[in-house]
Amino acid sequence: MDRRAFFRTFRGGGGKDGMSELVRLTDVTKLYQGGITGALNGISISVEKGEFAAIMGPSGSGKSTMLNLVAGLDRPSSGTVTVGGTELGKLGEAGLARFRRDHIGFVFQFFYLLPNLTALENVLIPAQLKGNVVPGRARELLERLGIKEVADRYPARLSGGQQQRVAIARALINNPTLLLADEPTGALDTHTGDQVMGLLGQLHRDGQTILLVTHDAKLATRHAARVISVMDGKVVDDARLESPDRTASEVIRVRGEEVSR
Amino acid sequence: MYESALSLKYGVMGLLAEESLHGYEVKNRFEAMLGGTWEVNIGQIYTTLQRLERDGLVRPAGPRGDRGKLLYELSPEGQKALKQWLAQPDSGPQQLHEDIYVKLLLATRIANGDLDGILARQKRAYLQRLRDLNRLEERARRDGRIDLARLVRGALLHTEADLKWIDELSSERFGAEGARTE
Repeated sequence: MDRRAFFRTFRGGGGKDGMSELVRLTDVTKLYQGGITGALNGISISVEKGEFAAIMGPSGSGKSTMLNLVAGLDRPSSGTVTVGGTELGKLGEAGLARFRRDHIGFVFQFFYLLPNLTALENVLIPAQLKGNVVPGRARELLERLGIKEVADRYPARLSGGQQQRVAIARALINNPTLLLADEPTGALDTHTGDQVMGLLGQLHRDGQTILLVTHDAKLATRHAARVISVMDGKVVDDARLESPDRTASEVIRVRGEEVSR
Repeated sequence: MYESALSLKYGVMGLLAEESLHGYEVKNRFEAMLGGTWEVNIGQIYTTLQRLERDGLVRPAGPRGDRGKLLYELSPEGQKALKQWLAQPDSGPQQLHEDIYVKLLLATRIANGDLDGILARQKRAYLQRLRDLNRLEERARRDGRIDLARLVRGALLHTEADLKWIDELSSERFGAEGARTE
């Protein structure tokens, strides 16, 4: 199986029609006691299936809070969060846990691998929670993410980039409808970060819906065609970017312009 | 204007330091070196070569050849001047080429200057530019043009700084509005 076919097999639902709504936040607020850091102040956005959208903003702007609400890791103070037609506010704790397990893949800045399990065992956890034992598929995921040789190693013996790849494999093992990534390159050096983002870009091209939280505009615009800017708990801009094939001189001029003007 | 002429001059000298070239080769190599980010016309090249020859920095490398083509080479004086120029760091005032800097100043003076709107639209333009630069960088790397990719990387980082500046200005605005409503 080639890489593309593989990612198609392992991506979650959606992507084909590309026009149907997957996520909707309506008038969402989130209040925190003792401060406004991370609070949300009336957010309404929707994300379509097959999109790769970046949520960008400074620290404390509420961007991670948004992601946690979409993941069902937290509940809003008011407003509704709907994912794949399910209003998360109507689910109990057990229902939310099932929702997360079946529909959400989450990649964090600091990987959060369990240190006493091997890479392969970490990848398998979400599948086991679902009652599935799919070591073959887990190994194949590791292979396609370029780290099959470390399958039986413990996290302490993996580099940061390898750990994040394991975390991505773990996020993908249950074919999530939605892949959420919160500063996935924040703990990686530039080169390794580029590689990890390249993997996310490949997953998106093969149909995976991705919501990325980042403060890095270079990374956001490199892969995401939509950039949602958040500031002080509000969406201040929602830009859909174009991807035309521009010639070099349409994008960048080295001094020459002064002459022609 | 002066600065453009300046780096064209040293660009030409740098290319002639590699090997002797005639006018059209200089033009083609110069444009190829810049990866299409600077187009020059052949007239500018010939004018530059004539001035460099007048100043003793380049000289003909032999008699006129096929169809009157003249090969130029760098003179020892030219080599010295080029070496000095390369060793000299860029200093002096920073160049702010874009209108946004002036728009910003005017928008804060003119009533209904719509500073928020200006900032929001500028932010989108910078995001789009970042995306375009990202694609250009990828293409340069794919084509094995590491030198060009480095140039684009510089532009990327500049645009990133411009974006941060816009964000800072926008957040000042939000702060001010917050203060008014309280």
